[in-house]
Amino acid sequence: MADESLFEFLHMEMVSHVFTEQQSSKGEMDNKDRAVCISVLEIMGFRVGQGLIERLTRDSPSFKDELDIMKFVCKDFWTKVFRRQVDNLRTNHQGTYVLQDNKFSLLTQLSNGKQYLDQAAKYLAFSCGVVRGALSNLGLESVVTAEVSVMPSCKFQVVIQKLT
Amino acid sequence: MTVHNLYIFDRNGNCLFYNEWNRKKQAGISKDEEFKLMYGMLFSIRSFVSKMSPLDMKDGFLSFQTSKYRLHYYETPSGLKFVLNTDLSVSNARETLQHIYSNLYVELIVKNPVCTSTQTLDSELFSSRLDSFIRSLPYYSPRAA
Repeated sequence: MADESLFEFLHMEMVSHVFTEQQSSKGEMDNKDRAVCISVLEIMGFRVGQGLIERLTRDSPSFKDELDIMKFVCKDFWTKVFRRQVDNLRTNHQGTYVLQDNKFSLLTQLSNGKQYLDQAAKYLAFSCGVVRGALSNLGLESVVTAEVSVMPSCKFQVVIQKLT
Repeated sequence: MTVHNLYIFDRNGNCLFYNEWNRKKQAGISKDEEFKLMYGMLFSIRSFVSKMSPLDMKDGFLSFQTSKYRLHYYETPSGLKFVLNTDLSVSNARETLQHIYSNLYVELIVKNPVCTSTQTLDSELFSSRLDSFIRSLPYYSPRAA
């Protein structure tokens, strides 16, 4: 892929743009506004994820089951998009998966611990959307959330929605 | 062999960062005044050097020395100014300053979405990486020569 800095700077600007747009129309941000901004970023990521997964699975064989899909996301997909593999994948075998990345590439420049923790959520929304979009085009509807306690390590929780 | 302190100024003269490792004597004025004094001196010396230079100038002002310390100066094309005070055993700190700029400042501040480059840099990551980099320099030791 091309120089990573291009995407990093674009992502930084995207997040700040979405937040200032929301702020300028209201004057101040409350929790509802913040949630709106986060979902805007997440929806952007969704479309990007859908497109990316089409491109990346052009040559792969079809997947055996859900766990296989998750493993693909953790290894190949994560490598192509975030330049490393997921460090830890846990599941309860009932549709909930937790992907842990100890050095998430969009957080490494922010801090090495607790500083700026409250701002980390803004920079994870897009990536959650990318994961959700990727899974959606592989046939799995899901809800993806991210949590961070010590940067740059973060956990993405994927809950597969069963079609009943 | 030691490093005394480091200042980082932006192109408008605001001091973005200051840290000291081994400073025995303070300037006797407040920190704000000290930063203004330092920036004013750099500005004047640079214009003096370019006016009085007998040949075409390439890099301009690089460093000055007294009987006790040497001040090294590095200015980036974007107008950022790095000033490092070391003792006399360090003759050229240009590479060090270039490393601080490209590997620490650009990586950790410019690419940090929360740090705007016009305010003082409070990223702890930047301070701690800078601190360990300075301490790992071959010419750094806790005691002045």
